[in-house]
Amino acid sequence: MISFVSTNVKGQIASSGWKEEDRIYSKVFDAPLSGKQLRKGTTLYQVTSQKPTVLALIFTRCTGVCNPFLLELKENIELRTNEKNFNILVMSFDPRDTEKDLDDLAMRFGLSEDKRWEFAVTDSIRSLVQSIGFKPVWDSLRQQYDHDALLIGINSEGYITKKLIGIRNNADLGLLLASIQDSFTPTYRMANPNMLFPCFNYDVKTGKNTPGLGLIFVALPALIAMVIVLSVNFFVRVNRI
Amino acid sequence: METLKLRKITSVWIIIVLTLFVVAIVLGILMRLNQGEIIQQSPITFYGNMTTHGLTMIGIWFVAGMAAVNYLLERYVKTSYAANLFALALTVIGVLMLWCSTFIGEFHAGWTFLYPLPFKIMWAEWATPLFLSSLGVLGLGWLVWSISLMAQILKKYSISQAFAWQHFSKNPKVETPPFILITMITLIGVIACLIAAVILLILFFIEYFSNGSFVNDALLMKNLTYFFGHTIANEMLYLGLAVIYELFAEVSGRPKWHTTWYVALAWNLSLIFILTAFFHHLYMDFVQPEGLQIIGQIASYLASLPAAGVTVFSILVAVYRNKINWSLTNLLFFIGVAGWVIGGLGAVIDATISNNFILHNTLWVPAHFHTYNAMGNVLFSLAFFHWFSNQYYHHKERQNTLKLSILLIGGAGFLLAFYIGGAESIPRRYSTYPSDLPMGATLASIAALFASLYLIAILIFFFNISKKCLKILSSSPQSS
Repeated sequence: MISFVSTNVKGQIASSGWKEEDRIYSKVFDAPLSGKQLRKGTTLYQVTSQKPTVLALIFTRCTGVCNPFLLELKENIELRTNEKNFNILVMSFDPRDTEKDLDDLAMRFGLSEDKRWEFAVTDSIRSLVQSIGFKPVWDSLRQQYDHDALLIGINSEGYITKKLIGIRNNADLGLLLASIQDSFTPTYRMANPNMLFPCFNYDVKTGKNTPGLGLIFVALPALIAMVIVLSVNFFVRVNRI
Repeated sequence: METLKLRKITSVWIIIVLTLFVVAIVLGILMRLNQGEIIQQSPITFYGNMTTHGLTMIGIWFVAGMAAVNYLLERYVKTSYAANLFALALTVIGVLMLWCSTFIGEFHAGWTFLYPLPFKIMWAEWATPLFLSSLGVLGLGWLVWSISLMAQILKKYSISQAFAWQHFSKNPKVETPPFILITMITLIGVIACLIAAVILLILFFIEYFSNGSFVNDALLMKNLTYFFGHTIANEMLYLGLAVIYELFAEVSGRPKWHTTWYVALAWNLSLIFILTAFFHHLYMDFVQPEGLQIIGQIASYLASLPAAGVTVFSILVAVYRNKINWSLTNLLFFIGVAGWVIGGLGAVIDATISNNFILHNTLWVPAHFHTYNAMGNVLFSLAFFHWFSNQYYHHKERQNTLKLSILLIGGAGFLLAFYIGGAESIPRRYSTYPSDLPMGATLASIAALFASLYLIAILIFFFNISKKCLKILSSSPQSS
């Protein structure tokens, strides 16, 4: 019985509104990349076509969110030791950053030898950020960019499949990784006290479903039809020829 | 024996069905022309036409089957003229309400009106309750008609006789005609799916008038929608099959078909399978219990075996190395069965879960249901219309081969464009195709051309049959 009514539902933490939906399923710009581990002339599509890619946009002179953002990402990735089928590409959106600045950053985070991580710059950063819908704003007073901490999931065909804004937990990263690997991630509407006939009662805490009253309604038309047939038969049988 | 009143009301049904059919085909051609970028419709017009086209087609071919069954049932039992007239009146009112909601109110949520689309008001506010009410009016008329026909059968046959259970034993004392068996099985399915529609509409209206204090479960609503939608679309085919079982042998000059144990078993099983096959519409609904998805696939496979297997076997046995009096009526029946089987195979392919991942919501879906409707069920009903009108005003019709050829070429070309589109993963329900899918527009233009041929053939049928039906309408008891 339990397996008969089992479903594939998964809970998902609320995202940052519609902003994360911008440019989803559009192609990312195929920017030429420069980085220590990359061959000369490598483009973004060549990286993504080898493996689906998680793209993190940062700048090395950031005094704000970039460092904690990268640190959280690194820790979350370290928890996923068994998952190898993706790259993490860290790119600077600051035109002042050089390949060496990115190398130094990789070294500071202890990632320069990790094959899954690439650190790169591009001479086409404007086209790249436009294709992603990323809009950093230069603050000349602070000499800093005002920007989101943005992770972009890109599948092996170069399409943006999911975005995560802000420092997010490992479960959300898992959803992004599933999306770049073209795995379907189901979601379910949260319980509503005004829904009197749900087919399932979803428990937010456990993430499990139990059968609800609505399932009975699915069978009801056939049952009522049978009752009608029997009732009609009962009433007409006295007149049967 | 049928009365003049029954003959006249059947004529009215035929004229209404053919008139609405012509209008619905024109709407379909306009949609394909828009997809082919030959004309430009606003998305609201396109989806409004799609809603009207879908529901009108489902409605008219259901009532065409019911009218035919009602007429032929009079050979065995006395049917209720009042119930027939009531259904006719409510069908006319319901269609007018429906067209009002779509053409004037611009309601355009599709014929499946999947929850919660009707509540996402992008049309006149009154159009949503009017659309739902139109379904209620149609459903009420058809439910009363179905129950009335079933009651008349049960007045003569006991339940076990109506289901032909006595044929499971050797030498049954009473024979249940195949027509009675199939009609009974079909009417129960029709009643069940119309009750699903009633429950669905009640839930829609409760939410509509609750001001947010009651909301529906989308999964429950989708299950009920397809319990109604899928089942009625299939039951109307079975109504056509009942007519074939009654008339094919008769018009072919062959001995009348009889019920055997395997015919009885096949149709009894069909009732179970047809009421559970609709689950295959919910394969993409991950919250649907996996058990129901498996039932959906198995029932879809099995539903096609008894009815299709037995019918095709019976037809082939009837025509193989036998002298047949071929006429337009039995040719339409014969070709219709072929169209039904081809469309059915397309349906079974799509109802296989692993295939559905590829074909879901592609043009494969309209491909298969247009095949078993436009080249199956429509031909069953045209055959009946032709036979019925010729009974009273028979004169040798010319160019039968020509009009049948136009119908076949038009239908096949129109359907082929759908199948190729489906195999190429062209999505369905797009008013225009994005530049990434140039093949979609090309196929749509080709389809519109062939559909126009199909329309020409239907117009010829329409004029020939309607002319005779109008004569029947104006006939007096003396002249009949």
